[in-house]
Amino acid sequence: MSAAIVCRDVTKSYLTGKTVTPALRGVNLEVSEGELFMLVGPSGCGKTTLISVIAGILNHDGGECRIFGRDPNEMSDEERTAYRGKTVGFVFQAYNLIPTLTTAENVSIPLLLNGIERAPALERAEEMLVKVGLKEKLRTLPSELSGGQQQRVAIARALAHNPRLIVCDEPTSALDHTTGGEIMEIFRHEALSGNRTLVIVTHDSRIFHFADRIAVMDDGQIVQVANSPAELSFGSNKEPSKHA
Amino acid sequence: MPVSALGPFRPPFGRSHEVSPEPLTSYHTPVYLIALKMLIGNRGKFFAMLFGVALTALIITQQSSIFIGLMSRTVGFIFDTPQPDLWVMDPKVQFVDDIKPLQDTKLFQVRGVEGVEWAVPLYKGQLRARLSNGTFQTCNVIGLDDASLVAGPPTMVQGSVADLRRADGVIVDEAAANGKLAKPGPTPDSPKIPLKVGDTLELNDNRAIVVGIARATRTFQSQPIVYTTYSRAMRFAPRERKLLSFVLAKVRPGEDVHTVAARLAQQTGLSAYTGQEFKGITIRYFMKNTGIPINFGMAVGLGFLVGVAIVGQTFFSFVVDNMRYLGILKAMGASNRLLFLMILLQTSLVGVIGCCLGMGLASLTSIISKNSELAFYMPWQVPVVTALATALITLITATFSLRKVLTLEPGIVFRG
Ligand SMILES: Nc1ncnc2c1ncn2[C@@H]1O[C@H](COP(=O)(O)OP(=O)(O)OP(=O)(O)O)[C@@H](O)[C@H]1O
Ligand SMILES: [Mg+2]
Repeated sequence: MSAAIVCRDVTKSYLTGKTVTPALRGVNLEVSEGELFMLVGPSGCGKTTLISVIAGILNHDGGECRIFGRDPNEMSDEERTAYRGKTVGFVFQAYNLIPTLTTAENVSIPLLLNGIERAPALERAEEMLVKVGLKEKLRTLPSELSGGQQQRVAIARALAHNPRLIVCDEPTSALDHTTGGEIMEIFRHEALSGNRTLVIVTHDSRIFHFADRIAVMDDGQIVQVANSPAELSFGSNKEPSKHA
Repeated sequence: MPVSALGPFRPPFGRSHEVSPEPLTSYHTPVYLIALKMLIGNRGKFFAMLFGVALTALIITQQSSIFIGLMSRTVGFIFDTPQPDLWVMDPKVQFVDDIKPLQDTKLFQVRGVEGVEWAVPLYKGQLRARLSNGTFQTCNVIGLDDASLVAGPPTMVQGSVADLRRADGVIVDEAAANGKLAKPGPTPDSPKIPLKVGDTLELNDNRAIVVGIARATRTFQSQPIVYTTYSRAMRFAPRERKLLSFVLAKVRPGEDVHTVAARLAQQTGLSAYTGQEFKGITIRYFMKNTGIPINFGMAVGLGFLVGVAIVGQTFFSFVVDNMRYLGILKAMGASNRLLFLMILLQTSLVGVIGCCLGMGLASLTSIISKNSELAFYMPWQVPVVTALATALITLITATFSLRKVLTLEPGIVFRG
């Protein structure tokens, strides 16, 4: 399998006023195409920062981060915007559906941003909604949906333009166990069927078993990569990983 | 398998939809439709913004129309008297109602100046009229050259200007005939009876017979306008050494008006202005010596500020409300340029609808106030200025919001 994501010594600090907060202190990571990769770790360890870098939302300060061979830092603004629009799909903890648009319209946004006309975009959006089990809710406003249903709409939106990479930040943590499991099933069946790569940040140990591999982050570094939930050694392993 | 970051899209599951391989630079209407739905979907803010723009447009249109209306009333009489090329008067005259009488001999001096085709006297003065119920009303009496009747009323409603040649004849303006000079009805509650042809008036203790009703441009003082002949005006007016108000002169064809005006001034010691110049002098006098421009300028300025404040505030908070969604759009591949265009579209829509509403309301007040004392005159420049002002408000608002969007960090989408 070829590598979808290759991070080498990626560093990133936030500057707020005069204080510098290091969020990533040399991240080394490799994710293959078609892999469902999970990122776990204590609050504030830099998970969100890392997927923001991978998704081309934040620039990293040092190291390199190649996504399908290219580093977002080396792209022009237009290229990075296009990269986000075409190559990446997003799923957020807070669903982030636009409240004044119907479910189908929400799902069609990435397609519209990619220059597809309204009618085929809506048709495609409806197809996606059917796939995530929302056949009855094509013209509904997000406020009329349950949390699980909203997250399914968000997944349909993330998949609609057929991106090669999907990043999710805590997609199940606002949902109950059963609903979270259903959401992960959708990810397994729909998202990975096209040799897509998924990076999921989560605190939710109940869904760990869906992952191909799980990386543990602490204090801005990846401290362990486990092949199954059983291998995870939380709390005990605080050593920084060896640089490649 | 070799991979390139922006490589071709693999066929999606289900039906394949080709995604254009070009970077996302050309945006098509469906994206803007989304922007409009975001705007209109937020009913409360949408109507608040519309209200703000409409109010601004209303205030600006109405106040500037009333201002222009008032200002044009000051020159109403000059406007109604297009026949002469030159108005000849005492050099100290500051505006059209500022009468500094001339000696009668000045008329002949003017006639003697090279390049003058004809010159006629004009009396303009205020005389008291006694109404049939015994009350007095000050009237603006215009005495026209007996022979030519130059400077007569622009439009006759009843009778003709030539009827002034009948004994004791006067022509009264329509508004006064129906209002200030109308006769009281038989009972105190019944409507006034308009003055009509054949009725008599007493002007400064002289009998005058109404021989016609005219329509004249309203003047600033809104006094009744009474037209009569120059010689009869001399009879009506109190005995004074000098009664000639203006000499109206026509320039011989082929002569330059300004050259003749300069010659007139040099040879008679009087001032000669074209109608346009005299209007300018009169308006400048009112601008400089009355509080009118300041008052209206302040109202218009306040309207503008209120607009900026209300519209800016609501729109800004609309943008802040939508920050998260704008952030998602940005994360999903919308460029700053697209976001700005979306915001501009939203503000423009509010601007256009609000502006039309406001100007519509203003026109409505103009229709309602058509025959009232309210001076309301809306030349084409007023809507244009209003539209420009709203456009400016829209642009200011959009630009302020844009700053927020440009500094928008798409990372906010990951925060709960
Ligand atoms: N915009 C920002 N400005 C300044 N500091 C930030 C910003 N975002 C994150 N940080 C800091 O960077 C560090 C890593 O934050 P990050 O959000 O990546 O952690 P996380 O692992 O996602 O945490 P959580 O599990 O709570 O979401 C934290 O110390 C955080 O306070
Ligand atoms: Mg986080």
